[in-house]
Amino acid sequence: MLKIKNLDVSYGKIQVIWDLNLNIKDNEAVGIFGPNGAGKSTLINAVIGLINNIDGEILFNGENIVGLSTHQIIKKGIALVPQKRELFPLMSVKENLKLGSAYIPSAKNKTDNNLEFVYSLFPILKEREKQIAGTMSGGQQRMLAVGRALMSSPKLLILDEPSIGLQPSLVTDLFKKLNEIKKEDVSILLAEQNVRQGLKVINRGYVLENGRIELEDSVKNLSSNEHIKKSYLGI
Amino acid sequence: MSFSLKKSYRLLLLLILFMVIIGIWRPNALLDGLQRGSLYAIIALPLALVLGILGVLNLAHGDFLTVGFYLIYMLYSRFNLDPLVSIVPAVLFLILLSGGIYLLTVKNVLKDGHLNQLLITFGISLVLIETINIIWTSRPRNVYTDYAYSAIEVGGFRFGTYELLYILIAVAVLVALQWFLKNTRLGQATFAVGQNPKGARIVGINVNFVYLFVFSVSIGILGIVAGFMLPRTAIFPGVGSPFSLKSFALAAMAGLGNLNGILIAGVTLGIGEAVINSIPNYGGWSDIVFFGVLIIVIISRSYRRAR
Ligand SMILES: Nc1ncnc2c1ncn2[C@@H]1O[C@H](COP(=O)(O)OP(=O)(O)OP(=O)(O)O)[C@@H](O)[C@H]1O
Ligand SMILES: [Mg+2]
Repeated sequence: MLKIKNLDVSYGKIQVIWDLNLNIKDNEAVGIFGPNGAGKSTLINAVIGLINNIDGEILFNGENIVGLSTHQIIKKGIALVPQKRELFPLMSVKENLKLGSAYIPSAKNKTDNNLEFVYSLFPILKEREKQIAGTMSGGQQRMLAVGRALMSSPKLLILDEPSIGLQPSLVTDLFKKLNEIKKEDVSILLAEQNVRQGLKVINRGYVLENGRIELEDSVKNLSSNEHIKKSYLGI
Repeated sequence: MSFSLKKSYRLLLLLILFMVIIGIWRPNALLDGLQRGSLYAIIALPLALVLGILGVLNLAHGDFLTVGFYLIYMLYSRFNLDPLVSIVPAVLFLILLSGGIYLLTVKNVLKDGHLNQLLITFGISLVLIETINIIWTSRPRNVYTDYAYSAIEVGGFRFGTYELLYILIAVAVLVALQWFLKNTRLGQATFAVGQNPKGARIVGINVNFVYLFVFSVSIGILGIVAGFMLPRTAIFPGVGSPFSLKSFALAAMAGLGNLNGILIAGVTLGIGEAVINSIPNYGGWSDIVFFGVLIIVIISRSYRRAR
């Protein structure tokens, strides 16, 4: 599905990602764990073409997508739930959701089905479908951002720290939903600092520190890894 | 940016009250002001769109209007084409010209600071003015058509019918624009980009194309204005320049992105100016009143916000 080879990413002259290799198989859920400033968002933004100062290869279903514009990459079947949500604050919940599929040729005729799926996953969004997005709580906006991404029928769903800013009970709820999404025909790339919750969703994970992959392993081995336990789980 | 459709009601009521008072006191000034104000509003509308969506204050805005004037003037003097007919080629030419200029210049400074953007549009302004100066010299030119001077008499007072068209056009452009933003695919994309460009990219919108589209079509709208204005306007290379600043003033007064507010602000300032002009020997004060009202509105708005 996604294969990243020898990726370097820089902001101007400052290099942030160093020689990174990563791959995601079909229907696999992969985690990237790392502390503040490790480069998780930078990596994700590089994948979807929001940063262009890139060296290396990013293959999506075998095709190198480095150099394509974001809108071209999104149309190939990648959807993003950004760290800062990036909703349309003056539009209603439903309008936001519909924009999720409106500009994706392969998803346009699935709008009704996808809307139904999103509403069944997050009933609150249906209740509030007429509410203006900017007036919703942080948790609801996060659900809306996830819903909007799902509207495009993505083959790869990327989530950038979906837990950030949410109270613990909401995080637990949201990650349950992610497990439901996982049952659909979709691969997941989940960037998280909240490793404890993240491990409940993923099949395999990478640890990213200072822009370098320090560790890659199955969820089982990661859970028992000493470094993970000490630095991320506080055990 | 927002395209607020609500919130204009109270202002609208105030404006109507103001118009009734002026209408009783100085009916000619009311008509004159409505015409001027409508013109200001249609010229300001596209500037406000570019400002709201690209975040660029286009100091060359009024000079693109001048380009439209001269193009239509040339079609009239060479081929005897009626200015209203020339609106079609003028709009097309302005779209192509501004699109080309956008791709060569403005596109490259979108991510830079506002100072760079101002400098580049100021540069475009100078180049446009001087190019016109070279081709047509600074001699004033005009175009005569009969219909532009038709008049009717109602209850003992005579007024020109042609300028009343300005009001209709202003309303038509405003309605068309809002319809476009609400009901078309590209319009919704424009609306989305205005609210959150990054969000728009993420849902697969070609944001760079939307920017190009908004910039060039906004300038294209000036072709319509140029066609209607030319029969009543003597033109010279600097004729459009003052409209850049006045348009910015209206956009600021209406509040960024409030499209209806621009029509209301335009008409208010237009009538204000016309009233001053109608007082003998005080005509020269009209610009002071224009910017005076603007300053009061902006101060009172920031005062309200601060509270
Ligand atoms: N626009 C930018 N320009 C320059 N440097 C940046 C920019 N954005 C991020 N950085 C730097 O790149 C590094 C990686 O940042 P990034 O946002 O990718 O980390 P992150 O893992 O997503 O962190 P967080 O968990 O806080 O979101 C940091 O050192 C940050 O300061
Ligand atoms: Mg981040």
